[in-house]
Amino acid sequence: MTTTQHLIRFLLLAGFAMLIVYLFRTGDMTLFIAPKMELLVKLSAIGLYAAAIYQLYAALKARRKSQAADCDCDHQHSSSRTKNIFVYSLFILPLALGFLTPTGTLGSALAAKKGMSFTGNEMISRSATETSSDPVSLSTKGSSGNNIDNTLNELFPYDEYTVDHARLAKQLYEQPLIVVPESRFIETLTALDLYRDAFMGKEIEISGFIYREEEMGEDRMAISRFAMNCCSADALPYGLMTTWPKANEYAEDDWVKGTGKLAISNYMENEILTVELTKIERIPAPASPYVYPDLEFGS
Amino acid sequence: MRTTLFRIGTPALAIGCLIMIFLIATNHELPAVAWDVILNPANFQSFKILFISIILEAFPFILLGILFSALLQVFVTDELIRRMMPRNPVAGVLVGGLLGIFFPLCECGMIPVVRRLIRKGMPAYIGIVYLLAGPIVNPIVFSSTFMAFRTSSEIAYARMIAAFVIAVLIGLLLSRFMKQSPLRTDGRHAAKGVSHFHHDVNVHAHDHVQPNPHPHNTIYVKKGRIRSKVSSTMSHASEEFFEMGQYLLIGALLTAVIQTVVGRDVLVGFAGEPMFAYPFMMAFAFILSICSTSDAFIAASFNGIFQPGPLLAFLVFGPMVDFKNTLMLMSTFKLRIVALLIALTAVLTVAATLIAEVIL
Repeated sequence: MTTTQHLIRFLLLAGFAMLIVYLFRTGDMTLFIAPKMELLVKLSAIGLYAAAIYQLYAALKARRKSQAADCDCDHQHSSSRTKNIFVYSLFILPLALGFLTPTGTLGSALAAKKGMSFTGNEMISRSATETSSDPVSLSTKGSSGNNIDNTLNELFPYDEYTVDHARLAKQLYEQPLIVVPESRFIETLTALDLYRDAFMGKEIEISGFIYREEEMGEDRMAISRFAMNCCSADALPYGLMTTWPKANEYAEDDWVKGTGKLAISNYMENEILTVELTKIERIPAPASPYVYPDLEFGS
Repeated sequence: MRTTLFRIGTPALAIGCLIMIFLIATNHELPAVAWDVILNPANFQSFKILFISIILEAFPFILLGILFSALLQVFVTDELIRRMMPRNPVAGVLVGGLLGIFFPLCECGMIPVVRRLIRKGMPAYIGIVYLLAGPIVNPIVFSSTFMAFRTSSEIAYARMIAAFVIAVLIGLLLSRFMKQSPLRTDGRHAAKGVSHFHHDVNVHAHDHVQPNPHPHNTIYVKKGRIRSKVSSTMSHASEEFFEMGQYLLIGALLTAVIQTVVGRDVLVGFAGEPMFAYPFMMAFAFILSICSTSDAFIAASFNGIFQPGPLLAFLVFGPMVDFKNTLMLMSTFKLRIVALLIALTAVLTVAATLIAEVIL
């Protein structure tokens, strides 16, 4: 390999290491990967630096040797030039994008492509709760103090897959105002959807960006967040449908905090959980636009 | 003719990928897709974030895999590995399937090593079992799959088990019916290929520190100077970084474009029909040719769109057989064997993942 090739490789490797450092410095790293992956990515920057330094060393070595023996292995160098250019420009592309273009956030455009979930985690199915027992009507609640625990259990029937969500739902149920937290965004939405009958009429507060589909019309919009598992490529949008008479005053990707009552509405031939907003205000976009699944949840 | 094949390999891969995009985005025309990504600021932003995040995410794992592979390459002799092989076919096949746990090479690093092992007297079917199972049944791939599917960890276990079973089945079939050597007996390769870890798929390469250019690795391993070993490890590692990195980048690029441009409804069209979902995800894995240490993150991004079965098919089939290692396989094995391997793997993957889908 020639001196030039070693130098190109040195630059590319060092470039990737610097991109990682740069993204951590500017704080943009949270836009790309989840916090739990940060340490690994930092370590890989060290590895890249080490490899870069090796390439620099090899470049100097190759230069010193270049007068003596050109290249002792009989590989075809010239024939692969086009391929080399192709390969190296492939490596330059992410560097150029990373350093030269401003980083925004994922928003409605991608949410539309990825498909908004209005029902929380789709792997936790509602069928489990529907079949296990008839939902107990709200009026039976609190008829006698001793029965509260039993009544709660009847309100929130569970099986082995939904036991954690049932527990969360009971906690939520006892709050006068359910604030959907960042730390358990998906879990909360899933629990609310799972036991939607119990939560009818409850007050709820949710923050997120505005997401809209054509079918929603003028008085509906979704307040949503992207949930990231490891990196933004696996981020999926979760949201709650809301109704607000002047919904069209809010543009897509505006950040808002909405408060309202939980209800059910029909959307695209599905019954989905809906917040009938009584109050809505604009908020600044949060530092980290993503929410993350709570790994401690259920353990 | 074969060199020509490799020379056009990467561009052909790129073209194949473009055709793939075109086929998926049936509603769009190809230029429209490109314009959609570049001109629409929201799409461009999504594309950029997805593209870079996949790369960043995969770096730690790909680096770890490369480091392991380079260390093994330099510090562990083939002799040692060969001596540990059992004589009994069934035991041999089982060991071959689990070899990846102790020697977690990536699929690209594996082919040349396996070829050398077979030449040195390791039964060919064990080598092929290792080739198939090794890129999946190993701790690095398990941990990255586990990370990617944190909320549904059974995927990681199912991936390991399915890969092991498929590889063992193929190994048993081969040990029974394969009588001749599966290796190509091409004079040029015999003369030159053996001595090299990186054979001619590689663009160029090698500046081993040693002045003698074509030694068996073992020769200079025995020389044993730590400095030269470290240097040789670094050389192999950075060589492999570019060798493998290009497939990762193409994979990340394609995935980002597909996710940005192709709506869920189009994918769901495929996803809903098992008849299409399985072949689609397997073809997708074949074309993407991502290293098995990082493909779980790609698969995870399709979680919720596709059922676990097709996702598993992606995770199991891709590392065993894909575009880049088919090229490499053809440089090593007879064409008939390569075709047979691909066909067997495809059929068994569908069968195994269909069963897994039912169980999960």
